[in-house]
Parts: sequence; structure tokens; C-alpha cells
Amino acid sequence: MTPIFNFDGIYTPVVTPFNEDGAFNWDALADVIEYLVEKGVHGLISGGSTGENYAQTVEERIAVAKFTKERIKGRIPLVVGTGAMITDDSIALAQGAKDIGAEAILLASPAYSVPTDRENALNALAIDKAADLPIMLYNYPHRTGTMMGEDFLDRVGRSRNFCGIKESSGDINRVHLLARNYPHIQMGCGMDDQALEFFAWGAPFWVCGGSNFLPEEHIALYKACVIDGDYAKGRKIMSAMLPLMSVLEQGGKFIQTIKHGVALNGLETGAMRPPLKGLNKDDKRTLEQVVRVLKATIANITAEGTK
Amino acid sequence: MSLLTQDEYRAIAADLILPTNAFIDGGYRPAISGKTFSSVNPATGEIIADIAACAQEDVDFAVLKARESFDDGRWSKLHPSERKDVLIRLSKLLARNARELAVMESIDSGKTIFDCETVDVPETIHCLKWHAEAIDKIYDQVAPASDDHIAMVVREPIGVVGLVLPWNFPLLMLAWKIGPALAAGCSVVVKPAAETSLTTLRLAELASEAGLPKGVLNIVPGGGADVGEPIGRHMDIDMVSFTGSTVTGKRFLTYSAESNAKEVVLEMGGKNPAVVMDDAENLDRVAQHIVNGAFWNMGENCSASSRLIVHKDVKVDLLDRIAYHAREWNVGDPLDPETRLGALVSQAHFDKVAGYIAQAENVVIGGNAKGGFVDATVVSVPSNDSILAREEIFGPVLTVIEVSGFDEAIQIANDTEYGLCASIFTANTKRAIRGARSLRAGTVTVNSFGEGDISTPFGGYKQSGFGGRDNSVHAHDQYTQLKTIWIDLADDADEVVA
Repeated sequence: MTPIFNFDGIYTPVVTPFNEDGAFNWDALADVIEYLVEKGVHGLISGGSTGENYAQTVEERIAVAKFTKERIKGRIPLVVGTGAMITDDSIALAQGAKDIGAEAILLASPAYSVPTDRENALNALAIDKAADLPIMLYNYPHRTGTMMGEDFLDRVGRSRNFCGIKESSGDINRVHLLARNYPHIQMGCGMDDQALEFFAWGAPFWVCGGSNFLPEEHIALYKACVIDGDYAKGRKIMSAMLPLMSVLEQGGKFIQTIKHGVALNGLETGAMRPPLKGLNKDDKRTLEQVVRVLKATIANITAEGTK
Repeated sequence: MSLLTQDEYRAIAADLILPTNAFIDGGYRPAISGKTFSSVNPATGEIIADIAACAQEDVDFAVLKARESFDDGRWSKLHPSERKDVLIRLSKLLARNARELAVMESIDSGKTIFDCETVDVPETIHCLKWHAEAIDKIYDQVAPASDDHIAMVVREPIGVVGLVLPWNFPLLMLAWKIGPALAAGCSVVVKPAAETSLTTLRLAELASEAGLPKGVLNIVPGGGADVGEPIGRHMDIDMVSFTGSTVTGKRFLTYSAESNAKEVVLEMGGKNPAVVMDDAENLDRVAQHIVNGAFWNMGENCSASSRLIVHKDVKVDLLDRIAYHAREWNVGDPLDPETRLGALVSQAHFDKVAGYIAQAENVVIGGNAKGGFVDATVVSVPSNDSILAREEIFGPVLTVIEVSGFDEAIQIANDTEYGLCASIFTANTKRAIRGARSLRAGTVTVNSFGEGDISTPFGGYKQSGFGGRDNSVHAHDQYTQLKTIWIDLADDADEVVA
């Protein structure tokens, strides 16, 4: 398969640091971007849900994307999230992505309205038309209420731009379906606790919120599985990461946890924009302990491989 | 449906969303290689779409999906009336999208919008509907056998079929193939001509909307070496039906012999004679038929009556009348509904046709070839040995050969490697019937040019093809296998013990 764009590696949906008054903390965002590029992630996603896109206006999102693009300085690709309730907003975001020179867009189903596959596909094609950029689809039915079904996938094939999908349904049957019947759409892991399974089925990329603060560990799993094909090692790393997945997914505080993880690295993330609030002390302590153990364990596993 | 104005057609053309990806397993997808090729509007030279350039691996995937769909019976074992319903729905969807399809066909192929609107699209719809209606009206047979046996002769769909299409009637030839193939219950992998993939791809999407299950109709665009040959050589394709040039068609026999001995049906070239005897009635009417037969669809028609074999006593008179009627065949923008001759399908094909005209020593009418467009042209040759009388030009060029009698006319008419169509114009009934019987061609028309219609078989003798026929209930046969089911009914205890 030679798609028009290869989504290879670890794509980090970048958090958006705010000041206490809710304004953007541009300096902190610049620091996060620099940190991630230096640590070797393969691409950044601006305006994903981890970036709290739902709490920002279209203009704000384009401003964040533009800032991110400028700070990356062409070192790795930028994918701009276009997910929105209203098609016109998504189209504006897609056009914004095109204007700032983004390499690709992330295209989700509109939340709440629960479109049919046909409606959703026509919506996606309209957004595609506005940007004419490579597209990473984002299937996240738990958040949108809508599964990107086979009819949807068949219809969006009208355009070659649909060349990747971040699969976040959690349904392992979707992994099988995508791998077998949609080989022209690169499958990416969007469900962190299934990363090993995705890689086993040939997924070339992983969009992982946790890589905001543990980039090396996420890259280690990607390298073991995708680059080296060493699944024995991959299982060990994945096993070490699962407690983190558990904290991220089961606490119901995904973004807050990631932002606190970033803060643990000495980078500012500030307050959450409403309606969300930050972590309490217990949650912070749990995360800190999990991260400590995880880092030590994965460092050992990685070191074993170099002996 | 009434025709629109040239401006309106241009506006529709500008607004079309053109399908560019292959259609496999129920959806559009790019070529696995990611490669594309350009589709050019031959009337303007403009690139109108970059189409997925498929190859062996895409064919493999399409065949895999076609095989899955055939084996699990989602279509092949569907109740005949349900298959009929789906194809009827498809014909209705085509009717609903007729204008879009007509314009798409015109800009992709250079065909006139007049022909697309009045012939190609309506006949496509009619063809699919006709085969759909036949699905639950074709019966199997019970053979004569003793009281102790039942012998059933049943037809079963042949399996996965490769359909390789020409560029001269993209939609209609697609319908001629998929109509009976899908009606029979087969799953198909279609290779449209590289020059004209757009409407085939669009039809597949409409078929999906009509309820055709995934994997049953797969469209794999690309070149002959990349897609056509892999289809011909595929070990898991049970049959190939090909329409196109004789040179290419013969290759499919080689592919078959060198792979899995798949069945091959060939509909190939023609150099079709129109015999006009000295007793032909109403020469004005004869001239209209000849002109229509020679120039319709820019002569890009394997059944075109491209050889006029005319009795010396009526030759001058007939050519005068042909010249008169040929004037109506004006050349111009295919999207102008007044245009009768559009652009030839590609620059390469134009060059070939223009090359033939350049060899003509005696141009009677027309002869102008410029910028992809060719005038209605009539050339006179001294004998049937002329290259212009022997080779299929596939352009608006009518070659005239003079004869002195009936037997000579039939002999010259049959002096060709082809045998697709022929026509004879005479008021003498005995001559007409003797001529019709003597002419070695799959379709012979008397006092007219034509191909029959959907209810009559179409196909050729000699190097025009073999293996089956398009159109009519006979078309269904080629997409099926015959099976004998022999049942012993004997109720004899001794025999059972034995």
C-alpha cells in the first residue's frame, strides 16, 4: 500500500496549556512542542480532544494550530483536528489547516447529532473538499455516538485523501475488519490499552495522549513491535504500560491526568477550561506512582535489549 | 427527456463530482500502489480526473472479494426475484441520475451528448432492466428419462467473471456484460477501458445503493498490461468476457491456455459490409441507413457498416444521396446537442484514423481530420484488397467498393477476416434471403442498418469473436454452467440390497 501520506510512528495529540484565567499559555505550549520534538515523537496533532478542542472557538483552534506549525519548524508533520458539532466549523478548521501548511487533518464524526453513515460520509467529503489534505479519520463512537461503519468507509473512498484512521472504538472486531477489508486506509491505534493488538495487525501508527509526558516509553513499544517485530519484548513493555492505561481510561479524567503528567516533567499546563476541573491529590498521587514504576520497568526492559 | 442547451450541459459538466478510485468490495479505494493515471476530455485535451492506476495486486484483492461473495451465496444463492429487485432498483437509480451519467460519458469519451442522452444511457437502463426481468422467467429443463429416473438439466452461475470493456460504449457495454452476468448470479471484476472509466465507477456506486451486496461488482481501472492481463491469467477467475480489438481479444485465449483454462467469450472487431444491389428500393432511404451505419458514434463502433459494396449501376446516384445526408453529420463540441460527430476518444486513436485517411487516394466526401475531430469521410477504393477495405479503421470512414453483380457482391462481402455484422439492400426477396443466408456474420440486416435489439443475440463469426453472445436470453447462457442431475427413483428391494 502506498498511500498519499504515511502516518508512521507516535502521533501526540498535544495538550493545550492555559493560564489560570483560561487564556492560552503560549510559552508553555512552545515548551511542550519542543519537548515532544526533541524526544522523537513522529508527528503532532493540534486541536484533538486531548487538546481540549471542545472548549475552544474555531479561531482559537486555528491560532493554536498555526502556533504549533510555526514552532515545529518543519521537523515533523502536523495534523490539525477538525472535529466540531457544526460542519461549517469543521470546514473552516480544514481550510485553516490548509492555509497554515499543515501536513494532514484529523477528521472525526460530528458529536451529538448521530448522523447515519451516509450523512457522516457526505459530511466528511465536504470537509475533505475544503482542505484537500491527507486525512486521518477518527472513529470514536463513545464520544460521538456514531460508529464509522462500513458504508461510511466505502463512501469516503471516493477521495484518496482518506488514508488513515485512528480507531478508538475499543472493539477488536474493528481492528480485524480494517486490517482485512480496508488495507488502503492505514489503521492507527486510538485505544491505548489495545496498542499491542493493533501493532500485531499491522497498524503503523499510534495516537496516544500519554505520549505527551511519556514519549520515550510509547516510542519504545512502537519500536519493539513495528520496527523490530519483537513482540516478546513488546508484550513486556505493554504489560508495564497497562497500569497507566488503567489510570488514564478508568478514572474518567483522561485529559486532566495527561496534563498532570506533563506537569510532572516540569512543564506548565495550568488550569482546565470548564466544565472540567483538575485532578485531586489522590489522583495525582496515583498517577505519580504509576509513572515512576512504569518508567523504571520499561527502562530495564529496554536496557536488556541492548546487552 | 428533453435535451438541454450547450451552456446548460457545460454547467453540469463543470459541477460533476467525478469518481476516481477503484470500486472493490462495496466501496471506493485507491490503487494499492497509490498510482494514478490521467483521464482526458478528448474534445478539449483537458485532464478531468486522476484515476486509480490498478495493477495485479488490486486485481487479486478484487477477485478475492468477488470469490468470497460468490461462495457465501450472498448474491449467487439469493432468490431470483430478489436479484431481480436489486437490478430493477439499479435501473431506476440510473434513470434518476441519467443526465449526470450522460454528461460524464460525453466529457470522458468525446461522444456527443445527443447520443449519450438518447442512446447510451437509455439503452443501458433498458438493458439492465431487461435482464433483471428475465431472471425469474428462465426455467431449467427436465430431460426425457425412464419412469425410474428423473434427469434434470439445470444452469448454475459460472462463478467469478472478468469483464473487460471497450471505450466506445463505456456504459452500454458494461450493461451488456453485467446485465446477464449479475442476473445469472455471478460475481464480477470489471476492467473499464483506461480512456473511459468514469461512468463505470459511478454505476458501481449506484449498484451499491440499489442493494447489490459487497464484493459482487468490482471495478478495477487501469491499463491492459496492468489489469487486463492479470484478469486473463488469474487462476481464480472462471470466465472472461471481452469486448475490444481482435488483437487484444486473441491474447485472452493465450492467457486462458496458460492459466486455468477459463472460459473466454470474445466480441471483437468488424469490417462490416453493406451490400447495395441495383434493385434496391428508395436509394434515399438506403443512403440514410448507410450514413447512419458508417458514422454513428464517430464510426467508433465494431458493428459500423464501414464497407459499402455497391452495384455499379446505382453507385453514382447512391453516393450523391450519401453526400447529401452526410452533411447533417456536423462535427463539433460534443456537449452541443446539435453536434452529431464528437471527438475521437484519444489523441492516439485520432492519429491512427487520420493516418488511414492520409492513405486514401480517392476521397469522395469529407477527409478533414484536425484536433481530435474527423469529418464524415467516404473513400473509394479500386478493390477489396485495399488496406482501407480490409482493416478496421474505427473512425467515421466509409470505404466504397464497386461490383457488377449479386454473387460478386456476396463474395467480396465475405472476403474479410471479420464476421460481425452485414446488411443487404435489395427489393428482391429471394436475393435478400439468399444474401442474408450467405453473408458470414452474426447479425445480418435486410434493407436497413442495425444490430437488432436487447432481445436478439449480438456477436460475431470468424475473427469477430466466439464463445457466446451479448444481449437476449442467450447472453445468460454464457455466464452459467450446465449441470445434469440424475436421480434414481427405482423402488426395488433387490436392487437396493445389491
